[in-house]
Amino acid sequence: MKEKKFSLATVHIVLIVLSLIFVSPLLWMVTTAIKPIEETMSATPTLLPSKFLWDNFPKAVTYGSKELGYIPFLLYARNTLMVTLLCVAGSVCSNAVVAYAFARLRWPGRDFFFAVTLATMMVPFPVLMVPTFGLFKWLGWVGSFRPLWVPAFFGSAFSIFLLRQFFRTIPMELSEAAKIDGCSEVRIFTDILLPLAKPALAVVALFTFMGTWNDFMGPMIYLSDQETFTLSLGLQAYQSQHGGTQWNLLMAAATVVILPVIVVFFFAQKMFIQGIATSGLKG
Amino acid sequence: MNIRTIAITAAALGVLGYLVYRSEDATTRKPVANKVTVLYWEKWTGDEAQKMRRIVNNFNASQDHIYVKMLSISGVADKTLLAASGGNPPDVAGLWDTQMTQFKDAGALTDLAPLAAEFGIKEEDYIPGYWKLMSPGGTLVAFPTTPASTALHINKKFLKPGEVPPQTLEELDAFTDRISKVKDGKVELAGFMPAEPGWWNWGWGYWFGGKLIDGDKLTINSPENIRAFEWVLSYSKRFGVRETQNFQSGFGNFSSPQNPFMSEKVVSVMQGVWMANFIDLYNKKLPWIAVPFPLPKDQQHLKGMNFIAMDTLVIPTGAKHKREAFEFIAFVQRQDQMELLCSSHGKNSPLVKVTDKFFNTHLNPYIRLFDELARSPNAAYIPQIGIWPQMDSELKNAFTEINLGTKTPKEALDAAQARLDPQWRRYQQQVMGRSITTAEAKP
Amino acid sequence: MKSEARIAYLFAMPWILGFLTFLLYPVMASFFYSFTDFSVLRPPRFIGLENYKEMVQDEVFWMTIRNTFTYVVAAVPLSATVAIILAMLLNTKVKGLAFYRTLFYVPSLVPMVALGILWLWIFNGEHGLLNMSLEKLGMSKPPNWLGDPAWSKVTLVLIAMWGSGNAMVIYLAGLQDIPQSLYEAADLDGARLVAKTRHVTLPMLSPVILFNVIMGMIGALQVFAVPYVMFPNGAPARSTYFFTTYLFDNAFRFQRMGYASAMGWVLFLITLTLTFVALRLSERQVHYDRS
Repeated sequence: MKEKKFSLATVHIVLIVLSLIFVSPLLWMVTTAIKPIEETMSATPTLLPSKFLWDNFPKAVTYGSKELGYIPFLLYARNTLMVTLLCVAGSVCSNAVVAYAFARLRWPGRDFFFAVTLATMMVPFPVLMVPTFGLFKWLGWVGSFRPLWVPAFFGSAFSIFLLRQFFRTIPMELSEAAKIDGCSEVRIFTDILLPLAKPALAVVALFTFMGTWNDFMGPMIYLSDQETFTLSLGLQAYQSQHGGTQWNLLMAAATVVILPVIVVFFFAQKMFIQGIATSGLKG
Repeated sequence: MNIRTIAITAAALGVLGYLVYRSEDATTRKPVANKVTVLYWEKWTGDEAQKMRRIVNNFNASQDHIYVKMLSISGVADKTLLAASGGNPPDVAGLWDTQMTQFKDAGALTDLAPLAAEFGIKEEDYIPGYWKLMSPGGTLVAFPTTPASTALHINKKFLKPGEVPPQTLEELDAFTDRISKVKDGKVELAGFMPAEPGWWNWGWGYWFGGKLIDGDKLTINSPENIRAFEWVLSYSKRFGVRETQNFQSGFGNFSSPQNPFMSEKVVSVMQGVWMANFIDLYNKKLPWIAVPFPLPKDQQHLKGMNFIAMDTLVIPTGAKHKREAFEFIAFVQRQDQMELLCSSHGKNSPLVKVTDKFFNTHLNPYIRLFDELARSPNAAYIPQIGIWPQMDSELKNAFTEINLGTKTPKEALDAAQARLDPQWRRYQQQVMGRSITTAEAKP
Repeated sequence: MKSEARIAYLFAMPWILGFLTFLLYPVMASFFYSFTDFSVLRPPRFIGLENYKEMVQDEVFWMTIRNTFTYVVAAVPLSATVAIILAMLLNTKVKGLAFYRTLFYVPSLVPMVALGILWLWIFNGEHGLLNMSLEKLGMSKPPNWLGDPAWSKVTLVLIAMWGSGNAMVIYLAGLQDIPQSLYEAADLDGARLVAKTRHVTLPMLSPVILFNVIMGMIGALQVFAVPYVMFPNGAPARSTYFFTTYLFDNAFRFQRMGYASAMGWVLFLITLTLTFVALRLSERQVHYDRS
């Protein structure tokens, strides 16, 4: 008993120290957001600002002027949410289905095609940018959101690999037993595998969400209308080449951008814990 | 499949369908009635983009057959490149001057001479240095949005009352020796440091009469350039290479209150006309003056030498509405609009004619100096050569290696020359040998 | 068998379609470009093996290979270790788990536009958070993280370790799938923590470890975003000039897409070889549940 209490305490201490280290950039970002501009990046780093400019947050979100237009932050948020939700839905559905084929079914060419799948991740992205753009141009999709979310419905090598590894940790006996009972592959997939794979699916959904939310390259290349911009593009509005960037506003805006992501993660992680409670494998 | 599953699936599909519908709706092109839409992609973001928008709004309000749609995005060069490769470039692109020759050689820019003639825009309207930047290799391909020139900015606190700022490079060296503070081997204050900000590290040779290209030849390791970099090295040696590195490691971000000039670690810097904006934002109380960057005693005939640059507007080849695009560009070049834009950006004007109002209401107290420097026949700008990005990369690297002491100036410049010569040869063969004569600007 | 194959193709159809539509053409095109001189703005011109020949003689190419390998060899194992340790710590019954997990994962999601500046700030040689802490702890001459070529890569490795939140999440999900019964059996045998880790946790986690190590390696070989923002041009003195950064410069700054494509395919071959080696080596170590 004593050993357990002691080790829990150690874990606590280690966690606290490590989490302080890990969260320090984030903390810095938030405290910079509420500082007056002269104190940002100061040589004698003060964790807390001399005056708390909480109104930097509303200022950041309503950046701009009446005459020349405000940065439509809310609009950008809506656009980002739209694309992200579509990507998450597409990613979870398509990757689960495809990974099942690679992990649990036997078919000619499976291993070779899996190797090809892995291989596609090994070609560096700048090299594919021009022909991919050409492809979307040919499809007439440049200027719309389609290049950003449609590919998500067709699987991604990373998620397929991830889910395949997970699916393979689930004992084949379960599938075999079900088959003997007369279940079709589809039934095995939906009734046996999916429930057990919840943690992994949650991971895929999470990663897709995070990746899409912060994606800069995709929107930069394919969107041509200021009103269709996403939040990652909108953050540029605070940077200036020759005028001096308003760091506090930039950090305030970045904080606002990351807030939904924090919220999503905080609630999504319950899914990981649920896996252990509901799956029939344990205990 | 039970009712619950069907219901959930249907609801999910419904939500997805709605999302798809909304995303399609958001991007459907809504053409402005009876007007030609000119697409304008600009590299500026933030405040500078907003100020350009004012000019765009002015143009849109001034006539009724063209509507300019401005997109402010920092990756504009890459985006324009991709769009051009797909055959669908914007009508106007706001690029950097460092890319002009490269894009022109690739046949990506429209020759604007015929349109300029038609709109009555002449070479004499522009300060000669800027006109050269607008016409790489003699072909007019770009018009300025805002230009710049450079000068030595000095923190007045460190000048004795009545003291004349350094007039020659040797005087600047002496000033540095006198002012700099070193305590226990640690540098606390430097009079001057060539590495700060380091934006013109490619150009130190110019101050010593050296050039980077001479006709068709690269002259990177010319004696003048080597001499220039020996002078650069002398600053590193002054305090010791290690100590200088440690000193520089404490420099904050350029665009912040921790800028070494603004936090008074470095007393004088070579900077552009925009420096006043930064000082105004990050450290209003700093007392400063601007003087022409001094030349070595034996190069005084180059008086007026300084670096000039400009932000450009170009019409990519393959743009759909070239004539309307040029109409917009011509509007920006109008004296009143140009002065409005340059003044709001805190820069000088590229036009020969300047109103007194421009000078008198300008944010930068030294605007007249910057204007004068821009007009100097000795003003220098980046070499107009297609492999400029590669040259820039090599020279930046050479500068660092010299500063770190890993290579002597001669070694570093020889190495840069050796790497660039074959690249220049290849470029001349592959790109220029078969360069398409830039498309006529048929409207 | 036959019907299983048919069902399998049906299940795999989204990816088959996606691959044929969105990947095959760009990949094949980039392969073709590697044999051309292609400035993006003008049609490609066939030049055979010229690009590959040039690469062999290009000393910057070799420098980026050395830099990238150094980074991979350091970053991948260290990040994996950090991620596993964190995941194990977070898999305990400590109070406030939800908060801890969030604190470890979320910071890696700060948008790059802010993150780059934050790191430059934290690693500043004089008043950066890191050096000030080190000085308080007694170090008299903390390293010049950003300006010293000997330390710049270390900086990036540290940042990579900090960013192992992604991998940590995956390990967490993997840890959840390890049956409690195995730990209970080990406890009955009197096993302590280290032994349990060695004989239960790591083997059960091995497919996931394999995944993360391979993905980590593939990602590290293509490292781009952080160095691009923090160390323009690979400063100082190209010590942080990595393969994909040089590739990107060639493609978009120097407008030599042909040469960049050739570089891309060289990296592809290197990655393929290393992955193959890793898979082979892991065959004995990785335990699948009998597939």
